[in-house]
Amino acid sequence: MIDFLLPSLGADMDRAKLNMWLVGPGDPVHKGQIVAEVETEKAVLEVECWDEGVIEELLVQPGPEWLPVGTPMARIRSVEPAEAPRSPETPAAPSQKPLPARPPTRRPREVAPPVRHLAHELGVDLSTLIGTGPEGTITRQDVHAAASPLVTPATPTPPRAEPRVKASPRARFLADSLGVDLARVSASGPGGMIRAYDVESAPPAAPEPEDKVTAMRRAIARSMSHSKREIPHYYLATHIDLDEAMRWLELQNAERSISKRILPAALLLKATALGLREIPELNGHWIDDGFRPSPSIHLGVAVSIREGGLVAPAIHDADQLDLDEMMERLRDLVNRARSWRLRSSEMSDPTITVTNLGDRGVETAFPVIIPPQVAMVGFGKVVDTVVAVDGSPSIHPVVHATLAGDHRVTDGHRGGLFLATIDRLLQEPESL
Amino acid sequence: MNPEQARKVIFEVLGDIAPEVDESAVDDDLDLTEQLDLDSMDYLNWMVGINEMTGVDIPQRDVSKFLTIAGAVAYLVEHSTEPVG
Repeated sequence: MIDFLLPSLGADMDRAKLNMWLVGPGDPVHKGQIVAEVETEKAVLEVECWDEGVIEELLVQPGPEWLPVGTPMARIRSVEPAEAPRSPETPAAPSQKPLPARPPTRRPREVAPPVRHLAHELGVDLSTLIGTGPEGTITRQDVHAAASPLVTPATPTPPRAEPRVKASPRARFLADSLGVDLARVSASGPGGMIRAYDVESAPPAAPEPEDKVTAMRRAIARSMSHSKREIPHYYLATHIDLDEAMRWLELQNAERSISKRILPAALLLKATALGLREIPELNGHWIDDGFRPSPSIHLGVAVSIREGGLVAPAIHDADQLDLDEMMERLRDLVNRARSWRLRSSEMSDPTITVTNLGDRGVETAFPVIIPPQVAMVGFGKVVDTVVAVDGSPSIHPVVHATLAGDHRVTDGHRGGLFLATIDRLLQEPESL
Repeated sequence: MNPEQARKVIFEVLGDIAPEVDESAVDDDLDLTEQLDLDSMDYLNWMVGINEMTGVDIPQRDVSKFLTIAGAVAYLVEHSTEPVG
C-alpha cells in the first residue's frame, strides 16, 4: 500500500486546500495522471500522481481547510507483482515514493521552542514559512523576516467561521471558484444539501480578485525576501546579436499560419535550455547547504498575471523540445498561468528560471533568483542597434541577456561562459 | 464584413485576453500593445482568436497592421470573404 501525499507545490508554497478529487476508490491510477485539484495562495493546481495502482481510500475530502505539504491524501494499492525481497544492503525503503525533484524539505512542525515562542509573539503563522535552516528547519531569522513590514502582517486566511454548510464536493469547489458564499445558497439536494446546480444558479456575489492577488504578493514577498537574504547574487550582462536568429525566424514564420507562429521567446528559451547542458552548474537546487545538480532541465518561465503578480511554472525537459513544441508549451503554460490553472509539478520543480521582460520595453533585466534555484536568466527587449560588422557600422536586432548567479555554486567565469554559449547557439538558429 | 462587425469580433477576442478593457476608453489609432499592456503572447493570441472567428488569414508580413484597432478593422473589412457566422 502506498500513501499518496500532497506533493510539494513550489518553493514558496507549503500548504493547499483540496478543491476536488478526480478519482475515487477503485479507480486505477498511473504515473503522471492528474488525480486532484488543489488551491494554493498562488494558483489552482492540478495534482499529478507518481505511483501506479488502484485507489484504495481517499483520506481527505475537499474543503476549506489548509493541508500542509506531505499530508497523506489517499491510499493506493500497488498492482505490481508480489513484493520482491529487498537486497540486504538497501535499507527498508518507506513505501512512499519520493516526490519529483523538490525544494528543501520543510517540516513545519520541527520548530525549536524558542523560535515557536518568537513566532507566537510576532504573530507569525509557522505553517506559512519556508525554513532556511538545516534540513529546512525554521530559524529565528525566518520568523523575523516573515514579520518584517515588507510582508503583509501575517494574517493567514482566517478560518471560515460560518457553520459548516452541507454541500456536495463539486458544489463546494464551484462556490469557491465562483466566489459564492455557500451560506447564502438555497439547497435543493437531499437532506438540505447544496448541489452544484444550486451554486451555479445562485445570484452572483461581488468577485474578490483582490484576495488572490494579495495572497500571491505575500508569497512573492516571502520567496524574494528569502532570496535576497540568503543568496549571494552576482550579475552578468551581455549583448547578443540576433540578426541571424530573427532573419531565420521571419522566414520560418512567413510560411506558417498565425496559430503556428513562433515567437522569439521560444528561440531564447531553447538556446538557454541547450546552454545548460554545457554548463550544468547553473541547473539545480541549493538544498541543505549544498548544490544538487538536476539531471533534467526544467525551465521556469516568469509569467506576469494581468491582475498583478507573477508565477514561474516549468516547461519540463525544455532541452529536448523542438521549437514548435517549445512554442506550444510556452503558449499553453502562459495561458493556463493567466487563468490560474497550473499543475503541481510545474510549480514545484523548475531547475532554473527565465524572465523575458523585453515585451514591456525593458532593455535589461536584473533577475532575483527564485530559491532553491541557483540561477536566473533575463532577456530584455530586442532593439535595433548599430553594431560593427567587419569594421563597418550596420544595424542589427540585439538583445541584452543577463544572468543572476548564486555565488555559493558558481563564479562569474562559469556564468560568463554560459551567456557566451547562449550567444553561440543563437547564431545558428537552424540547429535549435 | 462591415466595420461594425469587424469591431465586434476584435473586442470580443480582446475581452478574453484583457477582460478589464473598456472599449470606449481605447483609442483606435494608438498602439494597442502599449495602450492595453499586451505582451507578445497576448498579441499573438488575439490575432489567433480573430483568425479563428473570422477565417481571415493574417500572414506574418501583415502582423504590423494589427497594431491599432483602426488598422485591424480596416484589414478585416478588406480581407473577409464571408459574413461572420
